[in-house]
Amino acid sequence: MAALCKLRFGCRSAFRFSSSVSVRTSFSSDSEDGTRAGAGFAAAFQRQAELQREAENSAPDQSGSIPGQEQTFASLFQAVPVRDKVVVGNIFHVVRDDLYIDFGGKFHCVCRRPAAGGERLQRGSRVRLKVLDPELTARFLGAKTDTTLLEAQAVLLGPLEEREAQGRVQKQD
Amino acid sequence: MATRALTKGLLGLRHVRGPTVKVSNSGRQFATASSIISPEPQTCSVRDKMLDLPLEKQDLFRVSELFTVKDLFDARVHLGHKKGCRHRLMEPYLYDSSLDYDIIDLDKTAEDLRRALDKTAHTAYGGGIILFISRRRQFCHLVENTAKQCGEYAHTRYWQGGLFTNAHIQYGPGVRLPDLVVFLSTLNNVFQQHVAIRDARKMNIPTVGVVDSNCNPSLITYPVPGNDDTPVAMELYCRLFKTVINRAKNKRKQMELLHSLSEPSEPSS
Repeated sequence: MAALCKLRFGCRSAFRFSSSVSVRTSFSSDSEDGTRAGAGFAAAFQRQAELQREAENSAPDQSGSIPGQEQTFASLFQAVPVRDKVVVGNIFHVVRDDLYIDFGGKFHCVCRRPAAGGERLQRGSRVRLKVLDPELTARFLGAKTDTTLLEAQAVLLGPLEEREAQGRVQKQD
Repeated sequence: MATRALTKGLLGLRHVRGPTVKVSNSGRQFATASSIISPEPQTCSVRDKMLDLPLEKQDLFRVSELFTVKDLFDARVHLGHKKGCRHRLMEPYLYDSSLDYDIIDLDKTAEDLRRALDKTAHTAYGGGIILFISRRRQFCHLVENTAKQCGEYAHTRYWQGGLFTNAHIQYGPGVRLPDLVVFLSTLNNVFQQHVAIRDARKMNIPTVGVVDSNCNPSLITYPVPGNDDTPVAMELYCRLFKTVINRAKNKRKQMELLHSLSEPSEPSS
């Protein structure tokens, strides 16, 4: 019984000793669990920072490794552009009443300036769109492949309100 | 490897291009064996040493550091056309052929892009002429500026019939053709394959081409599967090619300085 207690005490003190050694903070006392938790976080943060630095340093060496990148593309790519999706676009060119809007897809779309509140929409404005078709294509009679217009089709829903933009940011967080 | 050796052999003949050139895959001997204008042995060995340097080291121009798969993803390089526009020969480069919209596998793109940039760097290092071709009117200004900024050439207008194959008559005798042609879009305005691809192949000029999912990659020496319709993607390609060419040219200048310092008796070429 006494031997067991001694063993347990011995283990605990060894653990405390190792945790205090790995920590370079001012909490050198190892009597309370609270300080151990605080010390643990600092140790973890420093370890993470070191790992990141090591990763950055070794990134050029690893750049030729294909398995790592394969995971990256598969993890990066989630969704295919879908029809009837509401997105936020950015106007990059204006020709009188036609607004050329880029919404992050392969092609841009061209929408007519709306009658109500249209003067506010200039180059650089952000707008809400409903994407009807990410690429306008059709197969004509006698053709081997589809003929593409190199444009998307979307309906302009209106300018992006400031409150909506903030709400979206909060939702993402 | 064979293409690189071929280009190296052709680079050795700066003034003569014609049917009298016989190149073979017999190692590093072409610059001396097949040159009709015989240079002094000393300049030949120095130039050979400089030209062999990139062949000895792996990735001398650090091309693999220039971009990551994430950069390609952010530039929307993986977006292809619709399933109906797909070219049969692009299917190996697609991520998933069952989707309605083609998605190009960026792992393959990254590998191919590195190879293409490496080839461009080698050509620029050896003093070769690089010609950028793109028939997309949307990006013609961008391509021309890129070529200007890296001291190379661009052709973004209508391609007349015999520009490569009939060059000696259209431009004059003894004209020098490009040593590498970079297609930033392999299609012309009517969605057919650009004539220069076939002509470059006929004239044994290696080609680098960005092939979208509706293009034919078979005649291009270094195809790079990727999006050629989005401005972000085109800007990325232009930036990469420009960086690589400038890097290679700077490296060449460095090597020339080093060699001129070590051998002061070398005549300036």
